[in-house]
Amino acid sequence: MTRNLKRPSLKRLAALSAAAVAIAWSGSAAAQSDTDTKDFAVVGNVPAMCVGGTLTGTGATFDMGVLIDINTGLLRNDLAAPPKILSGSFCSARSTITVNATPMAAQTFTSTPPAGFSRLVDYTATAAGWTTTPAAFATGAGSNPAAVQTRGTAFSGDITVSVGSFSTVGGANQRLVADTNYQGNVTVTLAVAS
Amino acid sequence: MPRGLRLETVLVVGGLLAWASPAFAQSTVATKTLPVTGNAPPVCAVGSPRLAPGSQINFRGLSGNTLQIDQMIDPTTLAVSAASVDVKFDAVCNYPHRLRLESQNNGLWPTLQRTLPPAPGFGSAVPYRATVMWGVVNGVLNADAQARRVNDQRFNIDLPTAGEIDLKLNIAPGASNARDNAPLLAGDYADTMRIFVEPR
Repeated sequence: MTRNLKRPSLKRLAALSAAAVAIAWSGSAAAQSDTDTKDFAVVGNVPAMCVGGTLTGTGATFDMGVLIDINTGLLRNDLAAPPKILSGSFCSARSTITVNATPMAAQTFTSTPPAGFSRLVDYTATAAGWTTTPAAFATGAGSNPAAVQTRGTAFSGDITVSVGSFSTVGGANQRLVADTNYQGNVTVTLAVAS
Repeated sequence: MPRGLRLETVLVVGGLLAWASPAFAQSTVATKTLPVTGNAPPVCAVGSPRLAPGSQINFRGLSGNTLQIDQMIDPTTLAVSAASVDVKFDAVCNYPHRLRLESQNNGLWPTLQRTLPPAPGFGSAVPYRATVMWGVVNGVLNADAQARRVNDQRFNIDLPTAGEIDLKLNIAPGASNARDNAPLLAGDYADTMRIFVEPR
């Protein structure tokens, strides 16, 4: 036991040595006039990322209700729905906003409709607020060059998504087959631009 | 001094790990999908009748929903004169449905029902034939005037149909509920035809 006190183990020596170093650093800062500087590199990065925000208001679905004039069977010409607001969207770098959409399609009546009838409804989806020119996608168009819009700076804000300009695929004189569920989808994508 | 360098290295690496982790959890792409929904309820509709051009023989025309026969009998024989007409209706039914053609009287019968039996040898009602075309249906209703009653024909249609209902009414010359070419008792004769497009 006495010998252990006089000759501490290697582990104990290492601990004492580390403590002595720490004391020496704090002592030198307070008591000496010349300075000793240690540079600690503190680095990090902010990755380019986009977050789509959350929907405000009544759910994510554009519920258009009854699509047809029940006296004629033709598509109503007054179809409208309140826009959806994606709040708190942000991108930390240059970004693109892309809107895509699929026609509203009868979900039960999936076969080819007879002459004079259609099971598809075209429309235009628009995403505004992110770029000067809103991104817009018409489901009946052969190409949609306006569907992708670029913003040169990071941005945080609301995106207003709207649907409109509904039309029956096949022409205005086509009737919609009866179906309890017509559905399409609007997809809004924020992406970091390369 | 070497110990200090070692410490510095540990700090730097620790910082990278701590800050890099949340970044990897984020994405460079954010997507939201918004469904667009609606419904098209079952609907059948029939428009107002109109005469097919050039289709009427011995009819005065269409007044509202009434077809008026011009000369009902041959004045020399008192037998029924031939008459025919073609009436069209714009119509639509956007689901599988049934077409029902109904004659209220099963022929043209006197508007004032008699209390006495008809005179022997005379006709007291006029049979006619109604032909209807609608989509895939080409049907016939024979209103034979053998009894005064409702007579109807029903046709199931498996497909939504839009277009025209084409109704042809034809009274044969000499048509009678007694015998062919029997003279017809004096009076006003009428029937009501109804066309239904309805759920099956």
